[in-house]
Amino acid sequence: MRADGHSNLYHRMVVYLLFMIMLLPLAGTLLYSLATSWSASLLPSGLTLKWYVALWSEPRFLAAFGQSLLVCVGALLLSVVLILPLLFVVHYHFPKLDALMNVLILLPFAVPPVVSSVGLLQLYGSGPMAMVGTPWILIGCYFTIALPFMYRAITNNLQAINLRDLMDAAQLLGASTWQAAFLVVLPNLRKGLMVALLLSFSFLFGEFVFANLLVGTRYETLQVYLNNMRNSSGHFNSALVISYFAFVLVLTWVANRLNKDKT
Amino acid sequence: MSFVSVQQLHKRYAGTPVFENIDCQIERGEFVTLLGPSGCGKSTLLRCIAGLTPVDSGRILLDGQDIVPLSPQKRGIGMVFQSYALFPNMTVEQNVAFGLRMQKVKADESLARVREVLDLVELGSFAGRYPHQLSGGQCQRVALARSLVTRPRLLLLDEPLSALDARIRKHLREQIRAIQRELGLTTIFVTHDQEEALTMSDRIFLMNQGRIVQSGDAETLYTAPVDLFAAGFIGNYNLLDPDSASRLLQRPVANRLAIRPESITLGLNGELDGEVRSHSLLGNVIRYRVRVRDVELVVDVLNRSSADLHADGQRVSLSIDPTALREVA
Repeated sequence: MRADGHSNLYHRMVVYLLFMIMLLPLAGTLLYSLATSWSASLLPSGLTLKWYVALWSEPRFLAAFGQSLLVCVGALLLSVVLILPLLFVVHYHFPKLDALMNVLILLPFAVPPVVSSVGLLQLYGSGPMAMVGTPWILIGCYFTIALPFMYRAITNNLQAINLRDLMDAAQLLGASTWQAAFLVVLPNLRKGLMVALLLSFSFLFGEFVFANLLVGTRYETLQVYLNNMRNSSGHFNSALVISYFAFVLVLTWVANRLNKDKT
Repeated sequence: MSFVSVQQLHKRYAGTPVFENIDCQIERGEFVTLLGPSGCGKSTLLRCIAGLTPVDSGRILLDGQDIVPLSPQKRGIGMVFQSYALFPNMTVEQNVAFGLRMQKVKADESLARVREVLDLVELGSFAGRYPHQLSGGQCQRVALARSLVTRPRLLLLDEPLSALDARIRKHLREQIRAIQRELGLTTIFVTHDQEEALTMSDRIFLMNQGRIVQSGDAETLYTAPVDLFAAGFIGNYNLLDPDSASRLLQRPVANRLAIRPESITLGLNGELDGEVRSHSLLGNVIRYRVRVRDVELVVDVLNRSSADLHADGQRVSLSIDPTALREVA
């Protein structure tokens, strides 16, 4: 029993330590964003919310925040509309294509963002599809980044629900393919879909390379704004980072709550 | 004219035939079992009847109507799956009501019918539960209720008991049979378990490699296998090659010989002498391996009392009921 208690303590220590290490920079940033000034002392000289007030009344920040939100939501909407039917078709009608899809969805990861953005600039810089500098290219590009997250999470979910038997049962009970898909399959994919959306959202919301290279200041997103503000007050920037982090945290929490309620 | 009539049904998959020239007739209200080893085509045949798998050629008449061109939604056939296939996002009641919802049955009538069929499977008090809150046996009863509520013309059961443990399996098969009798519902049951087939069915179609090898009632199938496969699949037949059979019977035998283990009696001045090689206790039956004239026979004896037990190595005498001998091609 004693040995158990010891190893238990040891395991807890490791976890807490890891947690601390990951939390430390964040805690520092939080403190810095709340400090009136903090330079040559161990602790900040005073606490204030003025940086947050300044941040949240800055129109350029609010615009960047809104634009980030718009681009992310747009990309995720596009991916839901395209990937859900795709997954359904692959798993229900052409299960053999799953292997091919697994390779395809790795492509956005296989090519480094800097390389692919150069390619995208060439392709969409001029000509009939000139989209560089507009949010549209970001939506399209973010779609490809979201693809692997969405595809994997929903595939796992699909494999857990025995798609074929559910579809067969629904059809024998008189449901058309559409009815079976919407009434039976889709509600059971809610969990996987939520996980995929959250994961992709927090990833895309913090995306910088594509946003900076493809669009830059012409349609400023949150990370690009942060980069452009790098020479201004560190307190202000810390408030920005903490606000951004808190937003993603709250969103995750809300989504988890919504997900739990109905089962 | 039979209620269900399958005529010259062909099905190929990726060039190799799953089954060919399947013909079978099923009467109204009959409980019929498709029995066979896995891969024999029995499940595919069932899915073809349901319309879930297209057939290459042939006809399936249900109540005089060819249903091959019909979609599964329009066939009026209910089906229960091995995996239950309950909708996880719906309660028991919503699951059962699904078919009625698709038929746009009025809410109050739907509710009454759902209640009625849930009572039939003894799950009236579980209406508000979700499938993940039920045991396997309960899930399968919900699935049965769900397929019965639309009053199908034909009920298909695809290995519905295979995922359940032994005790629940026995109970559920009696319940299924009782409900089927009560409703007079024509039913096709698919299984690889001979005990299920023998105890439940009015008639059994024994299938192997895409063919119906033998059809008949349980008694016929058990006592009169038509060929080697049938004899090997049903019961625990002693299958002897012609040489051993001739040696054992002391007369020339042209074909292989099948002898049921329980048709051999041990002890009391039998005409054959043998030696017990080993025995195993199966519960109500003791299964001996006895060596007679260089032939090893399996002999089943009812376990009446431990005083009758023959030890390994003991000399015994046997008699074989001559009417139970069966030559198979």
